Amino acid sequence: MKRFDLIVIGTGLAGLTAARTAIGMGAKVLIVGRGMGALTLFGNTVDLLGEIPPDTEMEEGISRWIASHPEHPYARTGWEGIESAIAAFQELFPPPYNFAAAGRGNSLLPTGAGTMRPTWLIPVTMAAGAAMTPAETLIVGFRGFKDFQGDTVSLHMKCRGVTLPLPRYGLEGLTAPALARLMDETSFRERLGEAIRQQMAGERFIGLPAVLGLRDPAAVLKTLETITGARVFEIPMLPPSIPGTRIFHRFREELIAKGATFRMGHPVSGAVVKDGRCEGIRIDNPPLVAEYRADRFILATGRFLGGGLWAEMERIIEPVFDIPVFQPGERGQWFGERFFEPEAHPIHRAGVVTDADLRPVDTLGRVVLANLRAAGSILAHHQAIEEKSREGIDIATGFLAAKKALAL
Amino acid sequence: MDLQTEVLIIGGGATGTGIARDLSLRGIPSLLVEKGDFTSGASGRNQGLLHSGGRYAVNDPDAARECIAENRILRRIAPHCIEPTDGLFVSLPEDGPEYRANFIRACGAAGIDTLPLSPREALAMEPRLSPRIIGAVQVPDGAIDPFTLVVENARDAESRGARILIHTEVTGLIRDGLRIAGVRVRDRITAEAFAIAATWVINATGAWANHILRMAGLQIGLALSKGSMLITNTRLSERVLNRCRPPASGDIIVPNDTVSILGTTSLRAEDPEHYEVTPAEVTFLVDELSRMIPDLKGERFTRAYAGVRPLLQSEGTNDDRTISRGFALIDHGSCSGPAGLVTITGGKLMTYRLMAEKTADFICERMGLHVPCSTHVQRLPGAGHGHTLKDRLLRLRRQTPAAKGEILCDCELVPREAVDAILREGKVRELQDILHRTRLAKGTCQGGFCVYRLLGLLNERSKADHRGGSNRILKGFLEERWKGIRPVLWGRSLKEEELIESIYKGLFNLTPAEPGGPGGGEA
Repeated sequence: MKRFDLIVIGTGLAGLTAARTAIGMGAKVLIVGRGMGALTLFGNTVDLLGEIPPDTEMEEGISRWIASHPEHPYARTGWEGIESAIAAFQELFPPPYNFAAAGRGNSLLPTGAGTMRPTWLIPVTMAAGAAMTPAETLIVGFRGFKDFQGDTVSLHMKCRGVTLPLPRYGLEGLTAPALARLMDETSFRERLGEAIRQQMAGERFIGLPAVLGLRDPAAVLKTLETITGARVFEIPMLPPSIPGTRIFHRFREELIAKGATFRMGHPVSGAVVKDGRCEGIRIDNPPLVAEYRADRFILATGRFLGGGLWAEMERIIEPVFDIPVFQPGERGQWFGERFFEPEAHPIHRAGVVTDADLRPVDTLGRVVLANLRAAGSILAHHQAIEEKSREGIDIATGFLAAKKALAL
Repeated sequence: MDLQTEVLIIGGGATGTGIARDLSLRGIPSLLVEKGDFTSGASGRNQGLLHSGGRYAVNDPDAARECIAENRILRRIAPHCIEPTDGLFVSLPEDGPEYRANFIRACGAAGIDTLPLSPREALAMEPRLSPRIIGAVQVPDGAIDPFTLVVENARDAESRGARILIHTEVTGLIRDGLRIAGVRVRDRITAEAFAIAATWVINATGAWANHILRMAGLQIGLALSKGSMLITNTRLSERVLNRCRPPASGDIIVPNDTVSILGTTSLRAEDPEHYEVTPAEVTFLVDELSRMIPDLKGERFTRAYAGVRPLLQSEGTNDDRTISRGFALIDHGSCSGPAGLVTITGGKLMTYRLMAEKTADFICERMGLHVPCSTHVQRLPGAGHGHTLKDRLLRLRRQTPAAKGEILCDCELVPREAVDAILREGKVRELQDILHRTRLAKGTCQGGFCVYRLLGLLNERSKADHRGGSNRILKGFLEERWKGIRPVLWGRSLKEEELIESIYKGLFNLTPAEPGGPGGGEA
């Protein structure tokens, strides 16, 4: 039987951050996950808290937010916790493909619906989106690539737009990963750059769907900018997300290089619990069930979409450890009458409640399992979708959970 | 724009379009107005069940005979709208063998073929049935596609000279002394108001019958009964499954192409426009139907919806299941109302053709014409074209060469070409019209992905027409979608919901009131 210092359950941004932090502290780490996590669906930029108006400094905005939201995950990490975790994230992405804030507060970036969206850290391939003005921007869509509707974007943003047939292939029904792989080919992106250049009418910015390559996006950016003479930026669009996939790959590469054990594709079917501690987990790998043991565990399995939470008709459960889940009322109260409500639907506040050390607690505030911590969106009392805090919560609590677990 | 016609029909459901078709076959000009799209009322909000009549055999033999007769006619004139699945009336121990014996006897008397099955035989045919069953009876039930049925009635009527205006609402009746001489209408999209003069005005508005009659100071005894239904993501059974017991709530499962529709409830409603499926109804339907299909709880539900049945009221009964499902043709002129106004209401989808026949017979008689009805023998124009998954796949292969076939809706395989064709026709006037006429947004994601793509297509057009863009349509669609999925949000549907919210509220930052930014506001 293999024994680890720490087992991280979940391969989303929270789990990956926890595993990397623990590796950095010299721990022997196993990270297990069922799939590639929400990163590959929605990962684009790093949001901290989109609710803070762009003219407010981030540190000030978040500190004030924490004071009025004592149950929020950020209240566990504090601004310092967020800051150091974000700095560690940025170290993993050195130039040329780096993440940086465009100002001292949130920046607004264009989206695939032609709206503007507030965010904090921006990858270099999206940076120009924060600087563009509609009058100087050309939006380019690809004929047959249905998950980015260029006309929708350009109509809403009130800038010029073109939809190009793809050079060489001209295929219809292309997917984002297929397009990204084509972009990785020098000849393809050179011909595309040339095709864009011929459409330009003096624009200084060019917006493209976020498919600028998986292997070396900075090189794709450079090719396109050199040929067109304009600043090029990626626009986040319908899942799957290529920028999020890049983040996942970078983490995995780093974790494997530093000696973490990576197990993907198999669900955790249960836990071995004894005397208020978790001793191990079981992983289904039909026809075998493998058991892994560790001194500490971090649960970072996400929300409903990731499988960290599961809603039965009457109650919400946490399937791996069956630890208590905070639930806002009964089923009829989980959702508001309208899809768009001024407040997030009550169910989004559901999740695992923890103590200051991120250890899950029951309704009386008692720690459930002494060596288990929870991190990421599975935590209760945030509204990541509406607040726009998904990556910030993942990174800050993943970082803190690992620090606390190994401080024992 | 003022118009003139012989017969003005109000209501674009099965009854109204059925009347337009019947009249057109008899050579009588008509004009139909519908305030929404076709099948906006109960015609589009039912369980899609082609009754054999078995459900009514014991309690209402007349209704049973009517059903089986219309069942046979519809199979003949609209084979492409029907999946001849057959149906089972399943007895659980609590239903008892006695009702089953009565049922078989009553079906025999009504002329409905029955085939008694042992539990073993029934389980071999429908493996998901409860092993507790004590027997089943096979009858000629089926599944029916009401939308195609209604659209084809309309299409056929139009090809024979009838005129049809959708999104056109009646705002008042025009009186000429003791007669109703026409209607005032308003185009709900352009807001244009105009009058339509007519010799006869037929009120075929189903649950809205009194809404129209109030304009003439009239009222009839009509009870509104809300029935709620659930749609599963997969098809649970090959055949229609009924409980073999006196008709009650939560006792029918109808297969519909690749899914199943579970129903229904029966609750008194006040208003045909404003009602919702409650959590209690959903829990009831799942619990009750779990008796027939025990593993139902693990199923993924994609949507809930409700319709409002117009039930003719008789004195002294409070249970809507015992109120007659029969229909009434009321000539208001002969009962102290204005002449020229006729109401046809009550009834059910199964008897829409018969209701149309009786109405057209009445009009002919009053006009002094002797032209017999032929809707029971004249096939609908689309007969011979299938709508099943298999047919759709075959059409897709024929119509769209792999090189240029862009699929807009991946769940239901709707090609971009199909939507382009509808737009070219130029009759659709809003997003919901397109969704009505294709299977777009009817699949697992309920439009979460394909509506963004559809909108792209529409924006491409508005750009060509130099119009601005707006996310109002997208947000409107998401609100409509919400009404259907909110009641079934648990388990796997809830996972999907988190995905959709993450896209539209998270990634695209759409909010109740969209914030500014460069062009970010509403156009």
